Amino acid sequence: MSDQPPNIRNFSIIAHIDHGKSTLADRLLQATNAVSSREARDQILDSMDLERERGITIKASAVTVMHRHKMGSKTDDLEAEFEAPVDDTGEHKTAKGQAAEHGDLFMMNFIDTPGHVDFNYEVSRALKACEGAVLVVDSTQGVQAQTLVNAYLAVNENLTIIPVINKIDLPSAQPDEVADEIEQTLGFKAEDCILVSAKTGQGIKELLAAICERLPAPRKPVVEQLRALIFDAVYDDYRGVVVYARIFDGRLRVGDKIRMMGTQRTFQVTDMGKMTPKPVRVKELGPGETGYVVAAIRSLKDVRIGDTITLENNPATEALEGYQPPRQMVFCDFYPATKEEGESTDFEDLREAVEKLSLNDSSFTFQPVHSEALGFGFRCGFLGLLHMDIIQERLEREGGVEIVQTAPTVSYHVVCRGVEDVVSPTGQVLKVIARSGVRHDGSQRGDVVEALAKAAKDHGIPDGHTLVEVHNPAELPNGSVIAEIREPICRVDLMIPKNNIGDIMKLCMDRRGLYKSQSFVSPTRDLLQFEMPLAEIIYDFFDKMKGMTSGYGTMDYEVIRYQPDNLVKMDILVNGEAVEALSIIVHRDRAEQRGRVLLTKLKDQIPRHQFEIPLQAAIGGKIIARETIKAFRKDVLAKCYGGDVSRKRKLLEKQKEGKKRMKNVGSVSIPQEAFMAVLDTGD
Amino acid sequence: MPSPTPPPHASSASRSLPVLSGGDGTQPAGRVLASTRRHAAASLYIHVPFCFHKCHYCDFYSIVDTRDRQEPFVHRLEHELEALSPWVRRPLDTLFVGGGTPSLLSPSLWRRLLRRLDELFGTASMAGRGGEFTVECNPETVTDDLAAALAAGGVTRVSMGAQSFHPGHLKTLERWHDPANVPLALERMRQAGIVRQSIDLIFGIPGQTMDEWLQDLEIACSLGTEHLSCYGLTYEQGTAMNARLERGDFQPIDHDLEADMFDATVERLGRHGLRRYELSNFARPGAECRHNLVYWRQGNWIAAGPSASGHVDGLRWKNRPRLDDYLQDTPDRTALIADAETPDPVRNLVEAMMTGLRLAEGVDARAMLSFAAAIDDRRRDRLASWATRLGERGMLEAADDRWRLTPTGMRLANQAILEAAEAIDPS
Ligand SMILES: Nc1nc2c(ncn2[C@@H]2O[C@H](COP(=O)(O)OP(=O)(O)OP(=O)(O)O)[C@@H](O)[C@H]2O)c(=O)[nH]1
Ligand code: SF4
Ligand SMILES: [Mg+2]
Repeated sequence: MSDQPPNIRNFSIIAHIDHGKSTLADRLLQATNAVSSREARDQILDSMDLERERGITIKASAVTVMHRHKMGSKTDDLEAEFEAPVDDTGEHKTAKGQAAEHGDLFMMNFIDTPGHVDFNYEVSRALKACEGAVLVVDSTQGVQAQTLVNAYLAVNENLTIIPVINKIDLPSAQPDEVADEIEQTLGFKAEDCILVSAKTGQGIKELLAAICERLPAPRKPVVEQLRALIFDAVYDDYRGVVVYARIFDGRLRVGDKIRMMGTQRTFQVTDMGKMTPKPVRVKELGPGETGYVVAAIRSLKDVRIGDTITLENNPATEALEGYQPPRQMVFCDFYPATKEEGESTDFEDLREAVEKLSLNDSSFTFQPVHSEALGFGFRCGFLGLLHMDIIQERLEREGGVEIVQTAPTVSYHVVCRGVEDVVSPTGQVLKVIARSGVRHDGSQRGDVVEALAKAAKDHGIPDGHTLVEVHNPAELPNGSVIAEIREPICRVDLMIPKNNIGDIMKLCMDRRGLYKSQSFVSPTRDLLQFEMPLAEIIYDFFDKMKGMTSGYGTMDYEVIRYQPDNLVKMDILVNGEAVEALSIIVHRDRAEQRGRVLLTKLKDQIPRHQFEIPLQAAIGGKIIARETIKAFRKDVLAKCYGGDVSRKRKLLEKQKEGKKRMKNVGSVSIPQEAFMAVLDTGD
Repeated sequence: MPSPTPPPHASSASRSLPVLSGGDGTQPAGRVLASTRRHAAASLYIHVPFCFHKCHYCDFYSIVDTRDRQEPFVHRLEHELEALSPWVRRPLDTLFVGGGTPSLLSPSLWRRLLRRLDELFGTASMAGRGGEFTVECNPETVTDDLAAALAAGGVTRVSMGAQSFHPGHLKTLERWHDPANVPLALERMRQAGIVRQSIDLIFGIPGQTMDEWLQDLEIACSLGTEHLSCYGLTYEQGTAMNARLERGDFQPIDHDLEADMFDATVERLGRHGLRRYELSNFARPGAECRHNLVYWRQGNWIAAGPSASGHVDGLRWKNRPRLDDYLQDTPDRTALIADAETPDPVRNLVEAMMTGLRLAEGVDARAMLSFAAAIDDRRRDRLASWATRLGERGMLEAADDRWRLTPTGMRLANQAILEAAEAIDPS
């Protein structure tokens, strides 16, 4: 690949979840002969086991393919039709020679992105490395919440967008109506939409032509020094960190000594290449190109996504515009579970698994915690509920541990009286975000005081107060120091069938939602905008919304600010003892209802004991809901049939195991599942 | 009179025998029995795997009868019984034919089987020698012809699966018979000369009321039975009943009501002179099922038929459950086994407690403590403190060197036994 092709097109494929991005990527790879039909399989870029099993994309992946196009033509010949399939040498084919009659050679670097809202940051990163975006809309579903959100992300990045209407092979396809929706909501002309079937390959020729025709070439270099944007990084057991970078200015060669402009760390490039999608080595990368870079980087902590790579001996002066690191919005505890066989995953195993996974996914956070009932574990932060689910599954699968998980909470900002450090009831010194006023012992450095004071201004913290972050109900400071508790508020976009609007409005209101607007999308659907606390969204809002709209509604949300409300900590007492792992922070007005639901769940989960067990929900010592697990009076095994004593004994063994798997709070044995039951919030 | 609990075979543990597990089925029962004493068992259990319909609560091995498999089954059984005869003592003391639905076998096959049993074990004359020969029956299948065949073959006792006298509850259980046929079937048996009769009943059926249950008990008593088995309905894994429960088709019975039914059963049957001699079994004094006592007192018995399990001196084995596997011939003609457990002092002690505590007579406390001590002192101490603890909770009574569950303990027998097992074997 030493001769630089004259034309480059960089684009991301973006869409609402399941609208067919990965399948479209498959077709592009196949049409351009990057993979032979023999190697082809569905969603080839979804390489993680979990991605393949769940049928979703979690990580964005970047690939490079070569394609010939005659400028001015509206449809292209496909490489697959005039070239022999790629051979096994792994060499990227060069479509030259007799192929030249099919037009000019284009190098296409494209990124398949995830559709799920939790992984929006992956989309944002990908877009920064591109000039264009292929916006896929399912012709049977129309414009959905993430269609809009992702399209806006692309518009904000000044990208050129090609709207593509997919799945036109399906009998229920309504391409014309969907084109109208796209025009209505996004302002693209209906006739500019390209109709494709990512399944049959119909329309791919037109799409390839449009990519070459409509998307701009990469911008010209503006400085002579190297500037490459890191848009992704993955950890590989053999090579360490593999960085994905887009070159904007200058050239990068194997052997170059590079400097990360943000972290100021330096490394030597040992290997570079492109994913085609097989990794193919290259010696150098020039402006507009995308590739992977290996440079003996040992840990993901050593690279910052969004950082700019330059050369150590000829550095650029100004870094490229990077991006905000993703913010953890949802938190929960992971504790080692006692396994079926009675042996427990111990804390050390869990620690190892967590640390190993964090090499792979730097977007979740963790810190050790201890709970009376569950022992030692980790408080982890995630981008959203799906992310939490995925991390848990990956820990169990890849780390071989079993996990007990507590209910997810959001991160709260707590304004405390005084300017001293704030200590949680568990003895943790809470993380200070802002402070107005100087701590009296004078132990702080001047610049820290200043930074905290500036933050206090930004956050609107009154004089003599400290703002701390709490994302574990157990760590909420004692009532007297709390001036107010602030919670994250989201802007929620809901794409709702017209006949469900009333129900959804009511649902949002019930969830402390603030109505913002309603706009027309199509004759059948409207776009609703609400502002709503994130805590309400993670409390089964999505499932409820899906249920009310028979699965047709879609939503997207983004945290826009923190806002005070009447929030309280609700303790759960089992047999009179508070179980910290079960406590939650709730809105005072919703506390009774939440308490009742939670206690009912617990009642189902905790087996009867030989004594009566009171279950109580309490706020500051005041009981607001109660349930009772009655004592069990009869426990007799069924008949001992035909003298099958062994079977009976094995049953007994199983019960013995079961008892060992329980967590003891006082004299009450609580099954691990009970802690999870709290997650399952449906009422 | 309480009979002494035989030792849980702690001594036989030293006998070396290959440890068998899981069974790929290549092993016939004769192989594991080879190391045991000859004529060690005076009891025999035979499993007949046919039913004409699968009741929804049932997790016994049974297949819906295909008539053409009855003959091959009896044919195979005859060979198996013959092969097992060296381990069976003559005269045989107890014989129990269970199922499935043994009464589904045609009278002619029954005659053939009974003839063979008599040749091998002298079963025709068991009654005269004080033996007990029980056959389980389904009320729908009892004809005069069958009753006559059984009586002539030496059967002394029938166990009738009535389960409930309320058609609605039988429907819930998907148990197919007309309750009106229960008295008729029992009468036919009595006419033929089989006068020892037991009835099986189930309580705790979804929707059942206390009154309905007491009615069932009254009806059963009015039929002149000397023995009743009353089981609380349980939802076993893999049964249709359990699937329906999980699907939410019905609510399980209220826990307290079920407990009350359990207690009420003891009281009501007591009034009729039927004493609880085992958790779920009631009998007029002297009418206890001797065969079942063998199980609970750790006695020895030989097993024949698919899924049947046997026990000799601490060795337990179980035939493979599937009829097809069972029909397969083996070199020594015994059946292929699914599983076998060689004698093990810890396991045998757990079993002795587990089965013995079900009995009103309880277990021999001194014997249990010394078996525990023979393993190690810590186990003995734990077992002793288990007894104290349960005594304090009103679940166990210690008198005449025996441990007996109190009425409360009986209701919570599983807990009592579970804790005993934890004491003996905390691992
Ligand atoms: N009939 C038909 N099915 C399609 C087409 N394109 C995609 N699909 C199917 O739609 C489903 C989702 O496709 P994906 O390619 O995984 O969608 P995605 O947009 O990558 O999904 P996420 O990465 O999870 O956001 C799969 O079952 C595909 O087989 C098409 O053109 N026609
Ligand atoms: S008759 Fe007995 S063995 Fe047969 S299915 Fe019913 S309960 Fe089970
Ligand atoms: Mg995908």
